Amino acid sequence: MAKLLDKQRYKCALAAMQTVQAIDRALPILHSGPGCAQKLSDTNGSSGYFSPNIFPCTSINEKDVVFGGVKKLNSTIENALKVVDADLYVVLTGCIPEIVGDDSGEVVSRFEDAEKPVIYAPTAGFKGNNYKGHEQVVDAIIEQYLKKSDKKQKGLVNIWADVPYQDLFWLGNLRALENLVSELGLTPNTIFGYNRGIENIKKIPEAEFNLLVSPWVGLGNVKKMERKFGTPYLHYPTLPVGATETSKFLREVGKFAGVAEEKVEAVIKEHEDYYYYLIGRYADLFLENRVINKQFTVVADAQYSLGITKFLVNDLGLIPAKQFVVDDTPKNYRDQIAEEFKKLNYGIEAEVSFETDGYKIHEEIKSHDYHGYPLVLGGYYEKEVTEDLKGNFLNISWPVQDKIVFDRSYVGYEGGIRLIEDIYTIAVSRFN
Amino acid sequence: MAYYIAIGSSDGKRTDLKFGEVSEFSIYLVEGRDYEFYEKRPVGDVFEKKEEKKDTCDTKCSSGCSGGGHGCGGSEEVSAKVDAIADCRCVVCKKVGFQAQKQFEKKAISVFDIECDIDEAIDKISAYYDKIDNKRSLKA
Repeated sequence: MAKLLDKQRYKCALAAMQTVQAIDRALPILHSGPGCAQKLSDTNGSSGYFSPNIFPCTSINEKDVVFGGVKKLNSTIENALKVVDADLYVVLTGCIPEIVGDDSGEVVSRFEDAEKPVIYAPTAGFKGNNYKGHEQVVDAIIEQYLKKSDKKQKGLVNIWADVPYQDLFWLGNLRALENLVSELGLTPNTIFGYNRGIENIKKIPEAEFNLLVSPWVGLGNVKKMERKFGTPYLHYPTLPVGATETSKFLREVGKFAGVAEEKVEAVIKEHEDYYYYLIGRYADLFLENRVINKQFTVVADAQYSLGITKFLVNDLGLIPAKQFVVDDTPKNYRDQIAEEFKKLNYGIEAEVSFETDGYKIHEEIKSHDYHGYPLVLGGYYEKEVTEDLKGNFLNISWPVQDKIVFDRSYVGYEGGIRLIEDIYTIAVSRFN
Repeated sequence: MAYYIAIGSSDGKRTDLKFGEVSEFSIYLVEGRDYEFYEKRPVGDVFEKKEEKKDTCDTKCSSGCSGGGHGCGGSEEVSAKVDAIADCRCVVCKKVGFQAQKQFEKKAISVFDIECDIDEAIDKISAYYDKIDNKRSLKA
């Protein structure tokens, strides 16, 4: 039965144009109605090279529904190749052409011999949200652009994390993961953000292994690469925020990659020493119960909900109230993710709800007894309800309305410190 | 429910005329998936009137934007031609200018600017409307 969904936290699969946008000098070509790109583009930065306002689009209308839009798609690709200087062209299809049955794949295959690569990802909104759309784009790159390589580069690791732009901190997070992996003596390879792009995409099949840091997004991609290129993968479900999880992360990656234990431990020690020095300096603040209450709720996609819950419990000693995962996680991953929420220090377990309806989430937050001011980390939708409860609110997940993020990150030791700063800045400012 | 389709054709076989070139529209009557030729509807006299008027009017008369002082009303020439087929559900021509498209849009008349056989055009359009009218999916 049809139902209303209040305050949803994701967009349609066509918003995977942001995944393309995150690849340096890659251009989405949209086979969709006019206005789709406008509605799907966020204000949190363009690619720096292409603006969503210039993405070539077939702007299909009623005529194309009746007579088919393949001719228009053909000419749009043809002309985009002529006038837009990009390294990779990714055709994305919206709902209409897929409903009426345009064979976009066939049109794209006509450009196999074009000077620049043109690939195609089916991203109709009815097929899923932009988390799935992101996977479709990466799949398209694997299936249509990359070929198996006999050459393997020792120590080369492809790093995959969550969805660019949907995740406000995507750029900083990826860079932080790269740095951590580099410190183990490995060579990280990512395809998103500044100075990566097509050259890094080409290196994907040469990697020794794929490192996926996400509860579920991208799992299909790394499995596909395992089948096609024979690249093994390490799935690390928790975004490493703060010392506890980051040290665990480094140990696990080190073990998988065969890095000497002493080397891993040396890296960890150096970081942990500084981390706990910083924490120690502010111990009084953390123990001052008046500033921040013990109970918290995270309302975010699976990666932040899980990553931050682990951080706040394991590193800061807070107690989880109910946590919410709002990215419409596919049902087959849910049990596994819920299990992760139970793996917290001190025998603590967090209850998690996979809920996409903002109204229901807010009702649950309102009815829960936080034994004081609640701490809520979530999307901007949670600001009002938290304020009504006189709680502390930090906007960490989409939609983000109250901050600009260039390349900050919550990942790693430093990321944990940044998150503590952000939380306590809000908490202490109310007592000024 | 039966409806009319206006087609711009020079030979009664193909939709080969641009909207501006049409002096008489071929009107087809469609009922469900069945259709038949209904009438020829001349719009030629609209042109003649305009020709006379033009002499006494400054150039703004035919400008779509100013619309002779009627804002987005479009030029009278286009408006009159649009009015002549205002009882039709859609119009099919090889090309339809932006100004005319806007006029049709205001009257909720769909515009299909495509060159093909009339039979093919009506067949596809009637299939489309048939699905919409019977609340069936457009899925191919």
